[in-house]
Amino acid sequence: MRRRSLDILLAGTASDSHTWNLVYLQLFLEERGHRVGNLGPCVPDPLLVRECAARRPQLLVLASVNGHGYRDGLGAVRALRRAGHTLPVVIGGKLGTAGEADPAQRALLLEAGCDRVFDDGDTHALGAYLDTLAAVETRAAA
Amino acid sequence: MTAAAALAPSPPATGGPDPRPGSFGAFVARCAAAGQLVVQPRMGFADPERMRDGLRRTKAAAATAAGTLTIDSYTRVGDRAAARAALAEGAPLNGYPIAAHPAARTRALLAGVADAGFPVQVRHGSARPEAIIRALTAAGLDATEGGPVSYCLPYDRTPLAESVAHWARGCELLATLAPAPRTAHLETFGGCMLGQLAPPGLLVALSLLEGLFFVRHGIRSVSLSYAQQTHPGQDAEALRALRRLAEEFLPAGVDRHLVLYTYMGVYPRTAHGATRLLEDSARLAVRAGAERLIVKTAAEAHRIPTVQENVRALETAAAAAARTTPEQADGGDSEVYQEARRFVEAVLDLGDDLGRALRTAFARGLLDVPYCLHPDNAGRSRSFLDPGGRLRWSDTGAMPVAPYATSSRRTPLTADGLLGALLTTSSRYDSDPPAPEGADMEHTPPPLGTHLASPTLRSAMLVQQEALYAVREFLRGQGFTELLPPLVGPVTDPGGRGAKALDVDYYGQPYKLMTSAILYKQASLRGFPKLFYIAPNVRVEPPETAGTGRHLVEFHQIDVELAGASREDAQAVAAGLLTHVVEHVWSAVPEVLRELGREEMDFAELLSGGKFDSCTHAEAVARLAGHGHTQSPDAEIDWAGEKVLSLAADRPFFIDDYPKGSRGFYDREDPERPGVLRNFDLIAHGGYGELASGSEREADYAALVTRMRESGENPAKYAWYLELAREGIASSAGFGMGLQRLVRFLTGLDALWQVSAYPKLPGVIAP
Ligand code: B12
Repeated sequence: MRRRSLDILLAGTASDSHTWNLVYLQLFLEERGHRVGNLGPCVPDPLLVRECAARRPQLLVLASVNGHGYRDGLGAVRALRRAGHTLPVVIGGKLGTAGEADPAQRALLLEAGCDRVFDDGDTHALGAYLDTLAAVETRAAA
Repeated sequence: MTAAAALAPSPPATGGPDPRPGSFGAFVARCAAAGQLVVQPRMGFADPERMRDGLRRTKAAAATAAGTLTIDSYTRVGDRAAARAALAEGAPLNGYPIAAHPAARTRALLAGVADAGFPVQVRHGSARPEAIIRALTAAGLDATEGGPVSYCLPYDRTPLAESVAHWARGCELLATLAPAPRTAHLETFGGCMLGQLAPPGLLVALSLLEGLFFVRHGIRSVSLSYAQQTHPGQDAEALRALRRLAEEFLPAGVDRHLVLYTYMGVYPRTAHGATRLLEDSARLAVRAGAERLIVKTAAEAHRIPTVQENVRALETAAAAAARTTPEQADGGDSEVYQEARRFVEAVLDLGDDLGRALRTAFARGLLDVPYCLHPDNAGRSRSFLDPGGRLRWSDTGAMPVAPYATSSRRTPLTADGLLGALLTTSSRYDSDPPAPEGADMEHTPPPLGTHLASPTLRSAMLVQQEALYAVREFLRGQGFTELLPPLVGPVTDPGGRGAKALDVDYYGQPYKLMTSAILYKQASLRGFPKLFYIAPNVRVEPPETAGTGRHLVEFHQIDVELAGASREDAQAVAAGLLTHVVEHVWSAVPEVLRELGREEMDFAELLSGGKFDSCTHAEAVARLAGHGHTQSPDAEIDWAGEKVLSLAADRPFFIDDYPKGSRGFYDREDPERPGVLRNFDLIAHGGYGELASGSEREADYAALVTRMRESGENPAKYAWYLELAREGIASSAGFGMGLQRLVRFLTGLDALWQVSAYPKLPGVIAP
C-alpha cells in the first residue's frame, strides 16, 4: 500500500500560547513525509476558518496544553463545521486542567465533528491515524 | 551578634532608596535585610473562594512568602467574554480571571489576607496588559509582571510593535493608577522567555532591557527575573551578571531586586525529581543572591497544582534556602556577563527610544530567541547543551555574539532530537535515584527497612546517644534524680494546635497516653525536689503538620522540674544543659558531626559563654512584624515566625511572657501582670526553631481550678491531680526539651524523622 503525503495545517488553540509542542509536532509530521503549515499559538476561530478556506489542507491538527483545550477545541470545531469545512480535524495535548482525560468532554468534541481526540497526548496514536488517513487518500486518489 | 541585635530591623540591602513600607519592593527588601529568601507560588484558580484559601494558606506556610494571583489564559489573550462564559459554565480555568470578576469581588478575596507583611502580585502573560492593570489596581494591588518582549514572543501572536506600545502604556497606567504613597512594582519576564533552550546571556540581557524599559516609562520599583537553566555554575554567573548590569544600567534611584524562577522547561514527572529540582533552585537563589524565588510544584508536569501542592513547594524551597549560605563572589567578567553586555549595548546603540530599539533589534536579528515561532523573531539562532551541561550557542544568526561550537556540518533537527534536548533536565532528575537521606530533604521517610539501614540514621543515633549521656551527666551533676515516668494516665497535658492525646482502653476506662508529663512532675516534687525524665511521648498531631519536618507523633522528651524555683532558675538549667550537650558531642563525636555537614563554627556563639538573650513574646511579635511576618499577639508564635526568629539569631535565645490562652493551665500567671504567663520557649538559632518550652507552674488549688475553667477544661477529669494540689503542691519551675529536636539541631538534619529510628509522621499510618 502506497502512502501519500498530506497537506496538514497545524494550530494552537485560541487561548493557548504554548509553542514547543507545535515545533515538535511540525517536525514529527514532516518526518512522516507530510507538508505542514504551522499557524502558531493562540489561533482565534475566525482566523482558523479563514486559513482552512485559503489553504484547503487535507487535515487539521489542533494542539493544546494549557488546560483550556476541551473548551477551545469545541469552539474551533464548531466554527469550522458551521462554516462548512468537512476536512478531518483532530485535537490532542493536555486538554483539561485535571491531568487526566475527561470522557464527557471528549464525547462533546466527537459529537461536534472532531475526528479524533488524543487527550492523552499520544503522538504514536496520531502517527497510526495519519497512516490510515494517508492510505485512504491513496485509494481515493487511485 | 546577640539574638536581639540580629532581630532589629535594618535598612534594605538592595540598591535604590527604600520604597514605601507597604509596597512589594519594600517587603522583599526587608526580608533580604533579614537574610530571608522570599518564596512565591504560581497559583491561580477561577473560583474566588479557592483563590482566597490559596492565598491564606500561602501566608500561613512555614516560609517567608509573597502571594500570587496567576491569571487565566482567556484574560491573558484579552477574551473577556470567554472568561465570563467559562465562569458561567463552571468550566475549570487555568487561572484567576481578574478582569471578569468585579473589582469588589477581588477586593473581598484579598481583604484581611494581603497586607504589608504579605504582598500579592498579579502574574499573567498578556501583550495587551491594560485591562489587567486596571483590574488589579482597582482591587488595591500594585505589583505585577510583564515586558514588551517577554509577554509577547512566548505568549501571543500580537505583533511586537503593538506589544511595545501596549506595554509603554501599561507601565504608565500602572504608575498612574497606583500613585504615591503606593509604589507600583513590575517584574520582567525577560529572564524566562520560552522557558528552555535559550542561553543565559540572552535571557539576562532581555531581563535587564525590559527593566530599563519599565523605568523609562515611569516605574520606580522593579524586579529582574532569571529562570534556572541547566547548569548551577552558569546560572549563578547569570544572576551575578544581572545584578552587575542592573547597577551599571539602571538609575540609582530605582528600587530593584533579583527574582529566580525554578526551572521553567519540561519538568520532572516524579515527586522526587520535582522536589530535588525545586531544592536546587532554592539553593541557587541563596548562593547567587537572588532575593525572591518563584517555585514549581510536584504537579507541574501533569496538571494545575492544588493549594496543598503549592504550599508544600513553598515550604520545601524555604527549608532548602534556610540551609544554604550566600556565596561571596563579584559580578565577574564571566562569559554570561560579557555576552549579555554585548546584547545590551547592541540594543542601546540603536537609539534612545528603547521600545523602538528593541523592535529594530528583533527585526535585524540582533536579538533572536531560539525556536520561537513568533513572526517578529528571526528564528535563525540555535543552542545546544555542551558536554559539561552548559547551555551555549551553536548558531547565532545576526546576533552580536559568537557561536561556541562552530560545527561545520550541523545535524538537522529531528523531532526526537528536539524532545531529547527539551527533556534533558527532567530525565536527569527523574532517573537519578532519590538522594540519600541527609544529603537532601525528602518529605517522607523511605520504607522502614531502608531507613533503619541508612548511614545518616546511624550517624544521628551516635549523636543522640552522646547527647543522652551528656544530659544525664549534667543533670545528675546538678543534683537531679532521674525517674521513669508514667505512660498511661487518666489525663495528660492538653495539647495545642489541634494535637490530641491518644486514648487507650484501660480496664474499660478511657485513659490517655502521655503527651508530656508536667502534672506528674509536679506531683513528684514531694519526694524529689529536683527531678527529670527522659520519656517517650505520643501526640496525635494534625495530618497537615506531616510536611513541616518538625512534628512526629511519637517522640521523646527530656522533662526537668525543680521545686522552689523561678523561671530564671529553670532557664539557667536549660541553657546550661544545652551548652553542656553541645560541648560534649563536639568532643565525643566531632567527625560524625562534620560528616553530617555540621561545623564547630555553627555553635561558636553558643559556646562563647554568657547568659542566653531573652525577649518577651510581645517583642518577638513586633520583630516579626518588622520582618514582614504577621503574628497574632494572642497566640503561640507560629512555625513560620519561629523559623524567621531562629534564622535571624546566631545563638539560642529565650522568648518569655506568653499571653494567657496560648498555653495550658499549669503555666503560672504573673501576679503583677494578669494575662501574662511566667513561661518561656528556648529557640535554637539557625532556623531550627523551638527546642524547649517551660514555665513557673501554677500550684495553688483555687487558681488551678479557675484556670482550668477558663481554658475550657473539666476540673473533674483532673481529680487525682487537684486532690494533690489541695493537699499542697510545691511551687516549681521546669521545662521539656524535645530530644529529636535537640538531635536535629545538633546534627543539622532537616526533618525530625531523620533523627528518629521509628518515625511516625502525623497522619501517616506506618509501622
Ligand atoms: C514551557 C512551559 C511554558 C512556557 C511556554 C513557552 C512557549 N511559548 O511554549 C511559558 C512559561 C510561557 C508557559 C506559560 C503558560 N503555561 Co505552561 N508550561 C510549560 C511546561 C513547563 C513545559 C511545556 C513544554 O514545553 N513541553 C514540551 C513539549 C514538546 O511537550 P508538551 O507541550 O507537553 O506536548 C507533548 C504532549 O502533550 C503531546 N502533544 C501536545 N500537543 C499535542 C497535540 C496532538 C494532536 C497530539 C497527538 C499530541 C500533542 O506531544 C508533545 C510531546 O510528547 C509545562 C509543564 C511541563 N510539561 O513540564 C507547563 C504547562 C503546560 N503550562 C501550563 C499553564 C497553565 C500555563 C499558563 C496558562 C500559565 C499558568 N496559568 O500557569 C501559561 C500559558 C498562557 C496561555 N495563554 O496559554 C500548565 C497546563 C495545565 C494543564 N493543562 O492542566 C502546565 C502543564 C504547567 C502546570 N502544571 O500548571 N508555559
